[in-house]
Amino acid sequence: MPEISQNLFEIIVTFLTITLVVNAILGICSYLIMLERKLSAWMQDRVGPNRTGPWGLLQPIADGAKFLLKEEVIPDHCNKVLFVIAPTISVFTTLLAFAIVPYGPVGEMPIEWLRFIIAPNVDIGMVFIFAVTSLAVYGIILGGWASNNKYSALGSLRASAQVVSYEIPLGLSVVGIALLAGTLNLEKIMAQQATAGFWGWNFWLQPLACLIFFTSALAESNRLPFDLSECEQELVGGFHTEYSALKFGLFFLGEYTHVITSAFLLVILFFGGWQLPWIATPESSFALAWLVKMLVLMTKVLLVIVVVMLLRWTIPRFRFDQLMGLAWKVLIPLSIANMVAVMFVRQFNWNPWWLPAISLALFIAAGVIGATTTRSEISRRPLATAKLASAH
Amino acid sequence: MINQSTDVTWVEEPEIGFWEATFLPAIISGIKTTLGHVGNGKTVTQQYPEVKPNLPLHYRGIHRLNRDEQGRVKCVACMLCATACPANCIHIEAAAAPPEWPDRDKFPATFVLDELRCIYCGMCEEACPVDAIELTHIYDMTGETRESLNLNRERLLEIYDQTKDNPRDPIRTRRGKLGPAAEFVDLPAVGPATAVGVAERSAKTSSPGVIRPMGPDPNK
Amino acid sequence: MPKATVNNQVIEFDASEQLNCIQAAKKIGFEVPHYCWHPELSVVASCRMCLVEVGDTKPDGTVVMQPKLVPGCQTPVKEGTVVLADSPKVKAAQAATLEYLLLNHPLDCPTCDQAGECGLQDYSYKYGRGYSRLQEPKNQKPDKDHIGEQITLFTDRCIMCTRCVRFTREISGTAELFVTHRGTKEEIDVFPGEPCDNKLAGNVVDLCPVGALCSKDFLYEQRVWWLNSAKSVCPNCSTGCSITVDQNEDVVYRLKPRENPQAQGHFMCDEGRFGWKYQQREDRLAYPEQREAGRVVSYGWDDILPALRKQLQSTKGDRIGALLSPWMTVEEAYLLASFLTEISEHVRLAVAPAAIVGSDDRYPKDFRGQPLEPTKFTIRAEKAPNARGVDAVLKHFAKSPLTMSDLLAQASSGKLDALYLVGGDPNGWITAQQADAVKKVPLVVVQDILPSAVSPLAQYLLPGGTFAERDGVFVNHAGLAQEIHRAVRCPEGARPDGRILWDLSGRPGLFNAAQLRKEIAAQIPALAALHAGKLGDCGVWLSEGKTPSPPVTHLAGANR
Repeated sequence: MPEISQNLFEIIVTFLTITLVVNAILGICSYLIMLERKLSAWMQDRVGPNRTGPWGLLQPIADGAKFLLKEEVIPDHCNKVLFVIAPTISVFTTLLAFAIVPYGPVGEMPIEWLRFIIAPNVDIGMVFIFAVTSLAVYGIILGGWASNNKYSALGSLRASAQVVSYEIPLGLSVVGIALLAGTLNLEKIMAQQATAGFWGWNFWLQPLACLIFFTSALAESNRLPFDLSECEQELVGGFHTEYSALKFGLFFLGEYTHVITSAFLLVILFFGGWQLPWIATPESSFALAWLVKMLVLMTKVLLVIVVVMLLRWTIPRFRFDQLMGLAWKVLIPLSIANMVAVMFVRQFNWNPWWLPAISLALFIAAGVIGATTTRSEISRRPLATAKLASAH
Repeated sequence: MINQSTDVTWVEEPEIGFWEATFLPAIISGIKTTLGHVGNGKTVTQQYPEVKPNLPLHYRGIHRLNRDEQGRVKCVACMLCATACPANCIHIEAAAAPPEWPDRDKFPATFVLDELRCIYCGMCEEACPVDAIELTHIYDMTGETRESLNLNRERLLEIYDQTKDNPRDPIRTRRGKLGPAAEFVDLPAVGPATAVGVAERSAKTSSPGVIRPMGPDPNK
Repeated sequence: MPKATVNNQVIEFDASEQLNCIQAAKKIGFEVPHYCWHPELSVVASCRMCLVEVGDTKPDGTVVMQPKLVPGCQTPVKEGTVVLADSPKVKAAQAATLEYLLLNHPLDCPTCDQAGECGLQDYSYKYGRGYSRLQEPKNQKPDKDHIGEQITLFTDRCIMCTRCVRFTREISGTAELFVTHRGTKEEIDVFPGEPCDNKLAGNVVDLCPVGALCSKDFLYEQRVWWLNSAKSVCPNCSTGCSITVDQNEDVVYRLKPRENPQAQGHFMCDEGRFGWKYQQREDRLAYPEQREAGRVVSYGWDDILPALRKQLQSTKGDRIGALLSPWMTVEEAYLLASFLTEISEHVRLAVAPAAIVGSDDRYPKDFRGQPLEPTKFTIRAEKAPNARGVDAVLKHFAKSPLTMSDLLAQASSGKLDALYLVGGDPNGWITAQQADAVKKVPLVVVQDILPSAVSPLAQYLLPGGTFAERDGVFVNHAGLAQEIHRAVRCPEGARPDGRILWDLSGRPGLFNAAQLRKEIAAQIPALAALHAGKLGDCGVWLSEGKTPSPPVTHLAGANR
């Protein structure tokens, strides 16, 4: 029964990979938190955690132990089932999305069954990811709702509006990529860019889409400056006000996994995946090429994550109306225009290098429109008229 | 009162140009700032238990009860500190002084200071007419129960014994006995017993808030 | 009416008023500072604090001022007198006088009990110069704690106003205090073996404008600025001296007399002044108790009062007896009597007799201890505050009130099914023998503040409040109704009697004495004078236009 044993083998391998990846992600998450704390400290001229272990390296483990050992408080007034389910949804969906994210040069391993993806060859890859990650908002909404606390409810309301809004530009921005590549399969998109070389990275063809994707991904993962659902100053923590111990930890795990997934997607879709000129190209055939390629990919991802962390202490949090304005008035029209432009280029087989020019033109148009509308808005404000009157 | 137009400072809303509308220059310059701080290697954090903080001279830590020249508690139980205390943390029970103290009428039979209730404002120190209660530089007192931080007379006197030789906690008085205020036509300001260099002062220029010695020193 | 001028303001006064400059200035609301002068004492003009400029209006209208400052307390004001009490000359004199008084006064305000209510402090702030030019050491005089059982003297604080000396000579007549030595060595002292222990001695502490004479009872207990005062009436005899009850954080620290020309004047006796200590006794009844067969079944007011009401209402009216106390306020007597008469008109109401101790003690006395005329202060023999008020209430509700012995006789002969006994007299109001009579009654209710012979026998024991914990009205020996006000809260578990009786009657809302007084005035003609509700600081006379009655020596018989 070779078929059965083959299937059994497949199952075992998949399980092993899942265990490996999930554990790796959890470990990476905790050290990413450590990295974020250290980076935050350096940005603020502080030291950061330095008491646990050498250079504070055991801090994430201490944090994890704390999350496990702290008292689990489930308030009396909340809906207990949903209250417990919410953080698990949050983690589950983000981890599930990672199932089809290739984390290395797929299919280049010497051993056939050792591969860089949990579920290879998913042709609807991007759709699957967007479908699953947008479910993560359920965790937030349910958590806020089940807490039976007005601040949590406000936080989850904001989160739902925000995620629903940013879903659109996020999806539309990658439609262009899919059109150019002719596939939704992430492995194939990555491989195409790798073959096309450095100037074949989608970033050069679709810089505007990249910007839109990055912004929307930040908003989707509730990172600053878009963390309106959990802003401490206004909502005392927002949707997780009532959460403690492990459940609170799960929410954060979910958020960080989301960041990692987003960073992987950004690198795979726009920055050529594992490809790096001269170091990691499809032609590189030295012994540990697969390892170098994986490290290149990981480095790119780490850079993206660091930028996300830098942005956290650079841009202040948006006001809710600004947040909505950005999504509906700027990102969605821009991404639609960008998508239409890609369609034109594909349909009429124009030189693809028109695309960055179109992106630039759209960007300039958006800036000009933004500047003029803001100016006319300011002139209509009562304060300005009062000032004009008093100046006479 | 109606605001005069001169009272109003008009703040111009910044002009929004093309680059401002795109957000990008602001974000990039912001990232530059944050990155600059990552790379500059400076830290303002003090490694507390290993490195002791350098407290200013006017730091207000826990209290002590001073002793007079004969080693008796200097407090005369006038309860002005308890009256001045905004946190109601001082509880004194007065009693007639023992017959061995012929120069004293009244003394504190019990003196309990709740260091947990205290807000360390220093009003008790200001109110004390005999400079018996003073705030020290001790900032790290801990206790295992609430009661253990209700310092009684003996513990406050112990703190005096601990801190009196510390140059940071001088006995800030020249007034030993009760009531010499009448001896001066022009009341002298009370300066610190140890000289405080100009550079050591938090305010370099003398201002009404800075204690400085005035007039001839009666001890000289 | 004669007219005079004070500080350029014209005042009118009656010729019979015999004003001095201090009193004349008071008419325009101006205070002339003074130490030695006191309205009840003779004038010595020794402190020189009240020096004023005085002049005369000549018939042609010109004003001639005397070149010299004169003591205001000693200078009578007549038609055309011109007084200047705030001129620069006067102010300079006041500052000089204060500097002089402060020469030997130690600056030990922090340790002095008088600080906060000290004449020297207040006037130094208002009129003094704030520092002294004295270079020499101050006189140090030894403290004398042998002045009296309750009085101690800080000799160096004394400013020799001699108010205390004149008080013992003129009001108490006992003349224990005197001035020894002369000049800067002047001191107040007592004769050896003759301490100042008369029954009015405590007043010298109040009279002392500085902290020289201090009360041993209050010494170092509290700073006076922490004390909150409630206006009240001394309950210890039927004179009904107006007092203030000084307390801080629900602890009474002292009683002080309050000036009330209708009641007693300026003073109070030591029996009253120190006679409130039972308020803090450890064995005060602290919790209400409901007992069945000697076992306590409830400690909760919320259970006890409704149960008691139900039980009383289900008892046959003419088998209920109630003994009221002359220590109750008018309101409390009214609440209890009206509640019981609502159950039945035939309830047997009685009032306990007020304790009579000796005979009225009148002051001043001569050296043999015999009272002299005119009487300036009387300590009454009747040791209860409100015999007349309770009497008036009782006469309204019961056509023929019983005496206490009649009621107890009925109790012992088994004619009663319920007996409501109100105590309140801290010196005991029922003997063990009398208590035996109660044993036959199935339902005994005792409302009291201290344990007595009947309190173990009670099925319901209701702890009440002392005078300092209650609101109400006391009617004194002469028919003057004065308000008492709550100064402190009852000990935990006890309740003011008015509140107990209000809740027992099942009346809605809260007990409010002033409001209840209006109801009483409308119901009982004898108490109609209470109709205003609030009676003011000096009280009201029950009978219209009544002047103080001659002292009542003994009220025996008819109503008790």
